[in-house]
Amino acid sequence: MFLEYTIVYKAENNYANWVKNAHWQFLIIPEQNETQKFISTDFKNSLNTKIEYSINGYGFKTIRLHPKIEFKQISFEASFRLIKKDVNPFDFNLDNHTENHYKKLIELEFQIEFERFLKKSNYTNLSDSQKRLFIFDKSLSIFDNLQNLNQWTFNYLFFNAEATDVNTKLSEIIAMQKGVCQDFTHLFCALARQNGIPSRYVSGYLHQGNGFFGDSQMHAWAEAYIPEIGWIGFDPTNNILVNSNHIKVSHGKDYSDCAPLKGILNTLGANKTKHSVQVLRQQQQ
Amino acid sequence: MGTVENQIFSSYERNPDLYDEIYKKHGEIKKVYKKLFELYGEHSIEDYVNLNTKAKSSFFNQGITFQVYGKKETQEKIFPFDLFPRIIAPDEWEVIEKGAIQRSKALNLFLWDIYHDKNIIKDGIVPLDLIISSDNYLDQMVGFDPPGGIYNHISGTDIIKHNDGKYYVLEDNIRCPSGVSYVISNRTALKRALFGVFNHYQTYSVTNYAENLLDILETTKPKGIDIPITVVLTPGMYNSAFYEHSYLAKTMGVELVEGRDLVVENDFVYMKTIKGLIKVDIIYRRVDDAFLDPLEFNPDSALGVPGLFAAYIKGNVTLANAPGTGVADDKAVYTYMPQIIKYYLDEEPILNNVHTYHCSRPDELKYVLEHINELVIKPVDEAGGYGISIGNRLTSEEIEIVKKQVSESPRKYVAQPIMSLSVHPTYIEESQSFEQRHVDLRTFTILGQNKDFVLKGGLTRVALKKGNLIVNSSQGGGSKDTWVLKN
Repeated sequence: MFLEYTIVYKAENNYANWVKNAHWQFLIIPEQNETQKFISTDFKNSLNTKIEYSINGYGFKTIRLHPKIEFKQISFEASFRLIKKDVNPFDFNLDNHTENHYKKLIELEFQIEFERFLKKSNYTNLSDSQKRLFIFDKSLSIFDNLQNLNQWTFNYLFFNAEATDVNTKLSEIIAMQKGVCQDFTHLFCALARQNGIPSRYVSGYLHQGNGFFGDSQMHAWAEAYIPEIGWIGFDPTNNILVNSNHIKVSHGKDYSDCAPLKGILNTLGANKTKHSVQVLRQQQQ
Repeated sequence: MGTVENQIFSSYERNPDLYDEIYKKHGEIKKVYKKLFELYGEHSIEDYVNLNTKAKSSFFNQGITFQVYGKKETQEKIFPFDLFPRIIAPDEWEVIEKGAIQRSKALNLFLWDIYHDKNIIKDGIVPLDLIISSDNYLDQMVGFDPPGGIYNHISGTDIIKHNDGKYYVLEDNIRCPSGVSYVISNRTALKRALFGVFNHYQTYSVTNYAENLLDILETTKPKGIDIPITVVLTPGMYNSAFYEHSYLAKTMGVELVEGRDLVVENDFVYMKTIKGLIKVDIIYRRVDDAFLDPLEFNPDSALGVPGLFAAYIKGNVTLANAPGTGVADDKAVYTYMPQIIKYYLDEEPILNNVHTYHCSRPDELKYVLEHINELVIKPVDEAGGYGISIGNRLTSEEIEIVKKQVSESPRKYVAQPIMSLSVHPTYIEESQSFEQRHVDLRTFTILGQNKDFVLKGGLTRVALKKGNLIVNSSQGGGSKDTWVLKN
């Protein structure tokens, strides 16, 4: 079964002073993969500046623009139409090879292949005592442990959009027990890695239910690698497995690899930024 | 010395414990220095003082200066230079040259491997942690093939002669090694001041560096480019090596640009000129990785070019040296160099590495704890000389403290024998005489696709403070013209 989505991403920036030499890079285009196929993509900006499609350092598609005129206000609007395969999160063989799976995790070849998603990063640093917050029960399968970690993270942090920003350290977030989807995801990744499971930060869009309208932001969740099964998506903010409501854009070791918008500009004075995301699901085909 | 009254060396004090580059052990002048010694002996100290003053003002007038960071009243300083050259005999040079090329090639193969299959880690020779924990390891470079297969186009290898008379490598600099312009200006200054002495020696030229650099960089041009356009990318005129950047651009006959002179359009790099945009194919960048592209690395960088890394990853431009090369330019990696050379080239290392004891290995730890007074103890994860203990300068209480630290976390420490750098007669302005000073040698190796080059000369750096072992220009070091003799 297939679903058709329309995603509208809007951003508006207002500056107190004239901006001369600005560069923007957007990492907001849904990834093409076996569950996601494009129909169309459209990108507009209020200055009618020519846009360029490129890639970031990890090969994910970006949109870049560099206005050649001075401005105080600029807005962007991207809309993507895509087809998403209906995903059954349990569509894998859950046979009990548990012991072999754990053995695999400590093999050197495995650790080399997944080093990028096993090592700590700026956003996933834990103090020594925090490393023991969630310890895998080796009598259960890796998948069951990850399910438990997903639930544990969901219960441990209280969703609060005001408590943290992109500069808040994971150790502070753990102390406050408050955060947004990025923080839930970093905590999940940090503890999964601590238990030897490769895990990566995913940036994307969440359809919050059929018929749901209104402003929201981009979403974040995690993917963890289980030997012989592959990458499985976990959404600790909602305590669910990733399904056909999740539309993936990019992945990386943490938020810094996936920031949806990067701007390089020299301007003094205040600026205001507004973002909004709408995810609409069309009738099923 | 017979009839010649050797005034300028009359007060030279020779410490017999140090390895002197111009004297043999029993006080006889070495063969390659004999003629020079005679020629200089014909002059008095007063002649020498005059020549030195002239040479200095010539440096200043040419703008061959550098700046020391962090000083409030930053002042342009000239790189102190003295008129007595260092001479390297052909047989000794052959070893240095072959050794430098061997190391550059091995490092290039190592970099390819750790950014691709990581076989050296799988085979248990280098630990995984050593590589991935390095700040200079770039995840973005994993699986990427740099143009021409070259990472370290330019290597600066720091070599010393120990008191056993053998050459040892202290460091391989493969990020943005600097100093080559001083090699050439030292030669020019010496030729101006004392042209006559060159008639008595067959010395290799050093002025062919730039043409070889351009020629070899061009072997790593992006695919599909016939005649590449090369530029030198500098952080700007406030950088301590700005003179060198402008010198290299000028002598290669290419443009010197700053980040703001370049622009990326549709993943190609262009330079802005009064005639419009001109596409750039090869960038000899003297800007560190973190500052290359604010969209990919440090967002606060005003030195870089937004979009440059995407152009690079798409294969549309060559960066020299390649981003991520610094991972192999690391104290901990250095200690594995003999194994790295053996692994990739199946050769014995031509140049010695300073032997390193890994305290993580129990038998080596035992040796270290028993011989701390003969060793330098270094933490593996600190840079810039922090946390280093020099065994023979420690009190017995300090030795006990170091012993305790090392035995508590042996994985954190390595130890090396205390090396004694050779000394060379050096003109000292304050005393207006020649004195022994410690020297090292930085060689410059260029690596391309099926082509390589070692500059026959190199930068002899001199520690101007008596007894000091630190030769860096920022620490008050000077330099000497370095002659490599033809057979």
